[in-house]
Amino acid sequence: MIHIAKRSLQPPFALSLTGLILLLLANTTPILTFDVVGRSQSDYMITGIIELCRQGYFLIGLLVCFCGIIAPAVFLSCAFYLGFAIALNMRPPGLKLVSTIALAVRPWNLIPVYSIATVVAVVKLEMLGSVAWQPGARYVLGVAVMSILCEQISNRQMAVEQLKKMGVMKKE
Amino acid sequence: MSLSDRSRVNLSRALVVTGLILYIPSNMMPVMTMSLVGKVDPLTVMGGVLELYDSGLPLIAGVVFLASFVLPFAKLAALAWVLFLHGSPSLRRERSKVFKIVHMIGSWSMVDIFLLAVLAAVGQLGALASVRAEPGCIVFAIVLLCSLVAAEIYKPRLIWEDV
Repeated sequence: MIHIAKRSLQPPFALSLTGLILLLLANTTPILTFDVVGRSQSDYMITGIIELCRQGYFLIGLLVCFCGIIAPAVFLSCAFYLGFAIALNMRPPGLKLVSTIALAVRPWNLIPVYSIATVVAVVKLEMLGSVAWQPGARYVLGVAVMSILCEQISNRQMAVEQLKKMGVMKKE
Repeated sequence: MSLSDRSRVNLSRALVVTGLILYIPSNMMPVMTMSLVGKVDPLTVMGGVLELYDSGLPLIAGVVFLASFVLPFAKLAALAWVLFLHGSPSLRRERSKVFKIVHMIGSWSMVDIFLLAVLAAVGQLGALASVRAEPGCIVFAIVLLCSLVAAEIYKPRLIWEDV
């Protein structure tokens, strides 16, 4: 039974690791390039946040930064840490805190919404000039898919049972 | 620090009322100004939807309309209904279902804020093309934050309690 539990907890472990790598790539490569009359501008995830802060809209910049970069990174890191501990039956420090953080940050992980917004932005920009997709777009989409799959596949019941067995959570 | 159940309900109610009050100005104020080769175009949330529709993109316009216009109001209205009936024994199963749906779809209303971030990032071509955020985006973000935080603070188990 424990073997089955461990096996079913391995996909979120792998998905979160893939998601973290893709998130790093999504933040370091351009998502799209916009061209008007020969002048072009590339869009990185951080560029929009910096521009909004530069214009004086710190709240919006902070919100985009938190929901688009920080929350996905924290959620995927927590999922990786928990998956790693459960899959290897180890008890690294702070498991309870990590599980609490993962649950708290999950609703704020809005990278799938960000990817839809990028598609809408491209459609809008195509009316004004020419737009070229860049590799970063694929990585953003990849992180979105990994996040959704990680949330859907994670067998919360099994994870809780396993954490209870490891003494991290209280038995009822 | 943990909130008492009464505080959770009161705080959620305050946030929902704030969100509903700010929903009207958030849709009347422009959220961004796009200028292309001298042509300046201030856009409200609904203005952006109409622009997409007029450009022959009804599907994308429909998605943005649902996510930015319908969803924030539907979420606030649903939360207001759940919180209004809090403590009453009626329609508990229905309220529980509505709350679950609100939780599932609520975050999609952030599309417009992310759209602004992407457009602001590429709209830095000086006189050729520029995108500027407008104060309306702050009001719109506050509406979204009110609904998101209210849904997080109010716990589904409270629907079944007679507090």
